[in-house]
Amino acid sequence: MSGQTMAKPIEILLVEDNPGDVRLTREAFKEGKVLNNLSVVEDGAEAMAFLRQQGKYADVPRPDLILLDLNLPKKDGREVLPEIKGDTNLKRIPVVILTTSKAEQDIVKTYNLHANCYVTKPVDLEQFISVVRSVQHFWLSVVKLPPE
Amino acid sequence: MKDEQKTKQQLVAELAGMRQRVAKLEELETERKRMEEVLRESEAKYSTLVENSRDGIVILQGGVMKFVNTASLEIVGYTPEELLGIDFLKMVTPEDREMVMRRYADRMAGKEVPSIYEMALIRKDGITVPVEVNATFINYEGRPADLVVIRDITERKRAEEELRRSNQELEHFAYIASHDLQEPLRMVSSYTQLLAQRYKDKLDADADEFIHYVEDGVSRMRALINGLLVYSRVGTSGAAFELTDCEAAFDCALTNLQVAVDGSGAVITHHPLPVVMADASQLTQVFQNLIGNAIKFCSQELPRIHVAAEPRGNEWLFSIRDNGIGIDPQYHDRIFDMSQRLHSRTEYPGSGVGLAICDKVVKRHGGRIWVESQTGKGATFYFTIPIKGDRYL
Repeated sequence: MSGQTMAKPIEILLVEDNPGDVRLTREAFKEGKVLNNLSVVEDGAEAMAFLRQQGKYADVPRPDLILLDLNLPKKDGREVLPEIKGDTNLKRIPVVILTTSKAEQDIVKTYNLHANCYVTKPVDLEQFISVVRSVQHFWLSVVKLPPE
Repeated sequence: MKDEQKTKQQLVAELAGMRQRVAKLEELETERKRMEEVLRESEAKYSTLVENSRDGIVILQGGVMKFVNTASLEIVGYTPEELLGIDFLKMVTPEDREMVMRRYADRMAGKEVPSIYEMALIRKDGITVPVEVNATFINYEGRPADLVVIRDITERKRAEEELRRSNQELEHFAYIASHDLQEPLRMVSSYTQLLAQRYKDKLDADADEFIHYVEDGVSRMRALINGLLVYSRVGTSGAAFELTDCEAAFDCALTNLQVAVDGSGAVITHHPLPVVMADASQLTQVFQNLIGNAIKFCSQELPRIHVAAEPRGNEWLFSIRDNGIGIDPQYHDRIFDMSQRLHSRTEYPGSGVGLAICDKVVKRHGGRIWVESQTGKGATFYFTIPIKGDRYL
């Protein structure tokens, strides 16, 4: 199929407080094949405001995919996740946990909170880019996302 | 008339005989007195020893206390009147009573039980005191009895606890430090790689060299941090010991080392390996580090590595023999210390944590590790794992 004319960019929300990681994720997405629009918020409280289109986020698009770091200022990713999954309007948006934590309790806990997948950020740049691309490829090309 | 019949000579002889007997009696009496004195002295000596002993000494007959010395009174805070005639078990904490009774019954039945063991007593004020007890059979006042020597080990226990806590804190610190260091390291590493990818050959030769050194430093730091993480987790995140097939651990180690094995053309042989009580993933780590080292420190020849295990007393003795460059005996102890390296990083890369990890894992399993080697003549690393691993759980 050729969706060129109709192509509407896939909306991605990245919740990440480390500017270095934000930039790396952007770099990885930039070379991706899927037209996408990456929005970034730096903490959990901002993430919830963005998702609920509150205050300055009144006009933002509803994300098709959320990339969520766990260790965040103000409201931690572990608190943001149950809020998203407990909200009837937001719970269908896939949430990918993208974190440095390899802690088993984090992995178990976030899956219990209905995280859609858990990815540990690789230390190596090549691997990081390849992981972000796989996430992008899987969630934006392979799977069928729910309609809004 | 009979007396008159005796000659003067006879009388003299009789008198001499009587004198001799008196002298003999006197001698015996002196000897008896001397013996009494010796006995008194000996009693005084033993009583002084017993009373001045810093260990508590208690004599039991039928489990009831018949004798208690001053130190035993000090340990439990009772008077002699309060203890004599009382069942010794009443002083033992309820948790230890069954064990004490079982030991006693086993000892009575002639079974071999350790004569020294640890338990806790309850003081008069209700506080429990950890003690080490050494029990032996004796005769007391003509009847069989138990001689129980009690040592207050409160201080030792406190020191052990302190050491354990401090080790735990250190491990926790090492874990946190190495874990948290990964984050900034990832940034340095990623951006250096990005820099190298985009600007290599676009700046000048100096810049390329500088980038190379940053990348090199980063990769070494990564190896070190990963090693520290593994090291700090040996004690805290180790799994419970279970029956572990060393063959499987060995195979797994070889799989993990496949790149190194293929790259070096190493020939690795092994004798059948036993099943032991161990943490399987840690045992794999030990095989992996030792075989990995054997491949890394190879000589001009093709690396030949042989892994074997044989029972020695109550332990399995494992050996990993290679034909590599060998190790000068003066460094044999030092190589197991953290971050001790014998070679420059350019000769043999590595973090210097590998053998420290092996040492820690083997010790956690109740075994020992050492090396036998001469420079240029290959090396054999040995380590032991108790056959009855459950004793060390």
